[in-house]
Formats: sequence, structure tokens, C-alpha cells
Amino acid sequence: MSLYATRRGANSIATTLCWVAAIFGLAWLFVILIALLYEGVRGLSPAVFTEMTPPPGSAGGLLNAIAGSLIMTIIGVAVGTPLGMLAGTYMAEYGRYTKLTMIVRFINDILLSAPSIVIGLFVYTMLVHPMGHFSAISGAVALALLVVPVVVRTTEDMLLLVPGSMREAASALGAPRAHVVGKVAYRAAKAGLITGVLLAVARVSGETAPLLFTALNNQFWSTDLAAPMASLPVVIFQFALSPYKDWQQLAWTGALLITIAVLALSIAARMLSAGRRKSK
Amino acid sequence: MFSIEPNRRDANGAGQEAGSNMSEVVLQQAASPSVVADRTRVLGRLALVDRIFRQATRAAAVIVLVILGGVIVSLVYGSLPSIRAFGFGFFVSQSWNPVTENFGAAPAIYGTIMTSAIAMLIAVPVGLGIAVFLTELCPYVMRRPIGTAIELLAGIPSIIYGIWGLFVLAPFLQSHVQPALIAAFGDIPVFSMLFAGPPYGIGMLTAGFILAIMVLPFVASISRDVFETVPPVLKEAASGIGCTTWEVMRYVVMPYTRVGVIGGVMLGLGRALGETMAVTFVIGNAHKISGSLLAPGTTISATIANEFTEAVGDLYTSALIELGLILFLITFVVLAIARYMLMRIEQKSA
Amino acid sequence: MNATAHAPKEPPTKVSVRGLDFYYGADRSLKNVNLPLHANKVTAFIGPSGCGKSTLLRVLNRMYDLYPGQRAEGEVLLDGENILDPAVDLNALRSRVGMIFQKPTPFPMSIYENIAFGIRLYEKLSRADLDERVETALRGAALWDEVKDKLQTSGLGLSGGQQQRLCIARSVAVQPEVILFDEPCSALDPISTAKVEELIDELTNRYTIAIVTHNMQQAVRVSDYTAFMYLGELVEYGETDDVFNKPKEKRTLDYITGRFG
Repeated sequence: MSLYATRRGANSIATTLCWVAAIFGLAWLFVILIALLYEGVRGLSPAVFTEMTPPPGSAGGLLNAIAGSLIMTIIGVAVGTPLGMLAGTYMAEYGRYTKLTMIVRFINDILLSAPSIVIGLFVYTMLVHPMGHFSAISGAVALALLVVPVVVRTTEDMLLLVPGSMREAASALGAPRAHVVGKVAYRAAKAGLITGVLLAVARVSGETAPLLFTALNNQFWSTDLAAPMASLPVVIFQFALSPYKDWQQLAWTGALLITIAVLALSIAARMLSAGRRKSK
Repeated sequence: MFSIEPNRRDANGAGQEAGSNMSEVVLQQAASPSVVADRTRVLGRLALVDRIFRQATRAAAVIVLVILGGVIVSLVYGSLPSIRAFGFGFFVSQSWNPVTENFGAAPAIYGTIMTSAIAMLIAVPVGLGIAVFLTELCPYVMRRPIGTAIELLAGIPSIIYGIWGLFVLAPFLQSHVQPALIAAFGDIPVFSMLFAGPPYGIGMLTAGFILAIMVLPFVASISRDVFETVPPVLKEAASGIGCTTWEVMRYVVMPYTRVGVIGGVMLGLGRALGETMAVTFVIGNAHKISGSLLAPGTTISATIANEFTEAVGDLYTSALIELGLILFLITFVVLAIARYMLMRIEQKSA
Repeated sequence: MNATAHAPKEPPTKVSVRGLDFYYGADRSLKNVNLPLHANKVTAFIGPSGCGKSTLLRVLNRMYDLYPGQRAEGEVLLDGENILDPAVDLNALRSRVGMIFQKPTPFPMSIYENIAFGIRLYEKLSRADLDERVETALRGAALWDEVKDKLQTSGLGLSGGQQQRLCIARSVAVQPEVILFDEPCSALDPISTAKVEELIDELTNRYTIAIVTHNMQQAVRVSDYTAFMYLGELVEYGETDDVFNKPKEKRTLDYITGRFG
């Protein structure tokens, strides 16, 4: 009976520790979100969306940074998505059993979690250095390189979930593989593919490191792709580390905006894939 | 005798209208030789589309390969001046002097490894605890919301953690935690070294702590996924012979999933090693190896983020790129091990 | 049955399988199979699980080509042309040899689009012509009355039996010459099964049909000829009446009387 008591004791200690761990871990994450809300909401005003980033010590907004983030993210996603979808399609459809697919899958998984700052260095040496100056387009390329692995992974996974019988049925009508993939498999995997793109957008919209030395920053309104361009994350980085209260406040507000955007995208992606699971 | 014919007539009788209707219809559209010829032509065109599409997808797959190859080659190429100038000494030298153009990576490597180690020391037990909590202890209705919340937190950009660390965590640690640590360990031989010096707030410990919070959702959600690969029947069998919840975890779930959990931890480690922004805010950016965890330091990624745009001179830039190369190689190894281990657990569950 | 009129004894052969061997990697799963498929007749393949009957069916439209490591040797002549020839255009072949699967496989699109999918592959039609062809195909599958008011709704919303008839309509719309049925009723309830069987019966007017079935009653009901296969070999082939009533081989007798399988 005493052995049993010891075992029960061990069980209560272990389960209590798990409870403590869960509360401890979740508490930190909540603390961060609350601080973000508290500090960020204080600075929310129409000016944030209508005025440019200010010089030190004066009031202003984040308009040019928001626009820059949108422009570079859109270009990055527009470039990275087709490339990633095609590569994922090859891996799941045409080349499912080939060596190339196995290697690309491995490489892609590495790229998926590789430090994003290294991608920034890569784009710097390939684009910024030869061009001689920082530019929005190299920032967009860096973001595209971060989009690709996410999209490759989800495209492959989602196409692999499409039942083989669907492909056989389409092939049995005499449809060439391109039709089978484009008209049937893509359609069957549509929700999953969109989820992948949303996740990719969520990932790159908060990326700072690869933009630091590709797009750099720009205090003014600019839509010139060949010139440096502001982005929310880089502005947050610069402003947060500055000694000026106004800048720090803008950094918090920008951080809040990014977090809301990222959370909204992730939640949308989740709801899409949950809906797909239900309809099956 | 099996009656085939009567049956068939029945069928025809029952569906007479449809049947007769259909035979006319089908007569009209029976495939004639000209239709077949048309099709052959159309199919020729479709086959071309198919070939183009196939080649395009293949090319895209190859491009993904080339990108990684390009990353390595460009980093090696960019590092060459620095490799030539400093050789192996780059790894052990502590100097970082842009004026005399003398660079060494030791403080950055040390900082990267130290902060990641602190992070994993905190995040692994807590993350596993959360995973156990979510799979075994949590009231059923709360499992999905909490699990989802943790996964969502894994997606929050690192700059958010950075700005919070700088403005909230660092001052808090400086005024409350670090003085207490100094007071508690100041007289104990080894620990007095680790917690020596004034409480700056920013420094290795703070950076490690932020990394821990960042990595936590990864470790927790991957471990939970891995725990869920255990067939319920195994757990039921253990419970059936009277094992407590903890014993089921300890002797059934954990041995079964060990490889996968290690894979998840390595994935978290890979992220901690490469994490840039959160660390850059709170590390202090000091190029020296200090015994104290409270002292400012630097990491590879923070050094690059802080100095790259201001680096003048090819050697300076090259040294920073070589740092990037080292970081990439370290994370490559860690991630490759992680992927391999997660792949094994996937195969096991499949 | 007017097709039999001009050839009372032996109807013309549409497909002729000669000396066929099939390999999954190193495993030989069909051994020297020889048999004809007579034009406008239904030929049933029966036999216990794993006997190779589905494999044989999947050779007839070279469906196995989708997967690596599977290969066929020997000859399969469709109107005298060897379809195992590597030079054969697979898509053209499959447009002539349609296939219906064990589980209904509606595409994730509307009922209308499901039918139009195959037609659009080969023909550019006006909207009106396409509408007509879709209707004809659905009527042909005895599905028109059930779905004419919801053509734009998803094909996945139909019942299992309706889905299977949709797949038959989709296949017929491409105007094949041969239709292969791979256990088409194994996922259906008895009423849906009866409807599909009726349909197969009507389709023999225009098409050459091969059907794999587990259900011997079904083979008796729908087929003109029956091939009994066992362990990759064709044990017996003949008119359905003969195979079921006076089988020549003891293994056939054992199987149809339920002694194994």
C-alpha cells in the first residue's frame, strides 16, 4: 500500500508541475499581448494612417511604412507564390517518386526554418551589392524567398491529401496530367492552397531582418521600387531603439498593427482549413 | 439455370423510355472516325500544354534547389576575403575592431550558443509541461482553444517580442529579478561568476529569456502533435493495468515519442539560434565574452543586424558575411537533425 | 440486343488480350492471360480478392502507367492496335476506353461542370451545344430528372448511387468505345445497385463493357461473358451461362458454389 501511495504522490507532483508549466508559459504570452495592447492602443489615432514617419522629436504617422510593407509584401507574395506552387506541384504530381523531389523536400524544409537574416545577406550579395544601392525590389525578393518554402510545403501536403482516385478518374477520361492537376487536383485542394498563401503572408509581413539591408528604410513617401522603401518592421526597429518618446510610441503602435494583421491572417487560414476538414 | 434474358427484358421494360431515348441519342453521338481524328489533333495540342506545365513545375523545383545552393555559394563567396585574412583564428579571436580591421567571431558564437542554451533550458521543460497538460490534464473543452492560442503565438513576429523585451521585460528584470539573483548567488563560488556585475537589464540572460518565450509555443505545439501520434490503445493498455497518468506519460508516451520530441526541440533550437530581432533589442551588442550572464554580449545575428548597413570596407562586410555563413551552417546541421528525427516519428505513426 | 443479330454465333472482338503478364515491381500478378472482349457485350471478371481481375482491368486503359514500378508485357489489341506499345498516346487511349471506379469519384465542382469537364477536353462547343451534350449524357445515365434543377450545385452533394451514375454520365459524355467498370456497385445500396445494373444493360447497345465484380449474382445479371481468374491466371472464360451452369474447371465450380473465396 505504501508503494501505491508513493506512486500516487509522484503522479500528483508531476501533474502539478505540468499545470504550473502550462500556467507559467501561457502567462508570459498573455503578458506580452496585454502590454502590446496597452501601449499600442494609446498611440492609435487617424494620424497614424495619414501622416508620414516624423523626424526625431515630432509627431507623425506610419503611412509610408504601412504602404511600403504592403507593396513589398504583395510583390514578394506575387513572385513567391507561383514559384512555390509550381515546385510543390512537381513534388506531389509529376515527380512524386523521383530523387529530385526527395532532395527538394529536404532542402525546402531547411529553407523553411533557416534564419531569415541569412536570406537578407544572400539578397544583399546578389542584388543590393551589384546594384550599388538599397532598393524596395531587393526587399521584395527577400520576402519572396521566405514565401517560397511555406507555399512549397503546403502545396505539396495539400495535393498529397487529394485522393488518388480523383486523379485516376480524371485520367480515365483522357485528360492530360496538366488538366488533371489544374482543373481537378487544385480545385480539390483549393482551401488548403489558400491557407498556405495566407500563412506565407502572415510570416513575411512581420519579417524585419531580411529587410534591414535590402530595402533599408525611407523617411518619406516612396513608391519607387529602385529606391529604398520604409516598412513597418524596420521602422519599429529603428524607432524603438531611439531615445525619443514619440518614436517609441509609434513603434508600439506599429507593433500592434502588425500583430493584428498577422493574427487575423493566421485565424483566417485556420478557419479555412477547419471548414475544409468539416466539408469532407 | 440462371435466368439472364428475362431479367434483362425487365430492365429494358422498366426503363423503356429512357432506354429507347438513349439509343437514339447515342447513335447520334457515336464516335466516328473523323471524331477520333479530331481528338488526336486536340490531344496533340493538350499534350504540348502538359509538357510545358510539367517542365515548368520541374524548373520551379530545381529553382528551389538552386536558391539554397545560391545561398551557400554567395555566403562562401562573400566570406572569402575574411577567410583569407583571418583563417581559423576567426573562430577564436575576441577582437572586433572596425578601425584596425581586425575581426573575430568568438564573442558572437559564444553569445549565440549561450542565449540559445538559456532559452532551451527554460523552454524545453515548460514546453513539455504544456504539451502534457494539453494532451492529458486540460479539461476537454479548453484543449482546442488553448492549443490554438499557442499555435497562433508561434506566428507572432519576433520584433514584437523584441520591443516588449526592451521596454517591459528588461526594466523589470533590472529592478526586481537581477538584484535578487546577485544577492542570492553573490557568495556561492561558481554562481557568483555567472551573476557578477551590475544589473543592466539588457544582456545575455534577458536575451535568453526572450528566446525562451519565443521558442515555447514551438516546443509545446510540436510535442503535443507528437504525443498525439501515440495510438490510444497503448495508453489505454497502460491505464488498464493501473498506471497513473504520470506513469502512462513517463513509461509509454515519452519512450514512444522520444525521437519526435527531440526533433521538435531541435527545431526550436534552430529557431533560437537564428533568431535576430528579438535578441538584437536586448543583447546589448558588446563584442566580448563575459563570464557573467548579466553582462551585455552579442550574437551572430544581432551583430549582423546592427552593423551590416554601417559596415565600411570590404573586410568588415566580409567578416559579417562569414558570421552569417557560420550561423547558416550551425542551423543547417541542427535543422537537418530535427527533420530527420521528425521524419522517423512520422513514418512510425503512418 | 440487335447488335448480336448480324453475328449470331461469335460477335466481333473489340479488345483482344494476348499473352499478358503484369508485374508490380518483381511480383508477377498476371500470368499469360488470353481473352477477348466482344463488341457490344458485357464481359465480367470474377474471382477472389487479389486474383488480378482489377489489375487486368487497369491494363485495358493503362491506368497503371500513373504509378512507377508497374509494367505489362504481352499484347492488348484494341481494334487491332497494340495499346501496350509505348508510343501509344495514353490520353487518346483513355478517351476511347472509359473507366468507372469502385467508389464514386465526382470532381469537386458542380454537376454540370463534372460532365462538361470531359467534353471540353476535346471540343470547343457553344454554350447551347454544351448544355445539350450535358443533358444527353445525364439522360443517358438516367440521372437527368433527378438533377436537372440543381445542375450548378456540387456533385459531392449527391447520394452515392447518384454520384456513381454521374460518373457514368461523365464517362459516356466523352464518347468512349469501351467502358471499364471496377466493382462499380460495391459502395452502393441495393436500390442504387439495381439502377446502375440497369444502366450497364442499356449501355451495351453502344459500348463494349468489362466489369470487375465480387458479386456473382451481379455477374450473372449483367454479363454476357464471364472470365474467372485465380492467383493471376485466367482459369476459365466463356459465355456467362456456361461458366455458371456447367463450368469446365473444378476451381470455377468451387468458387461459384462458395467453397472458397
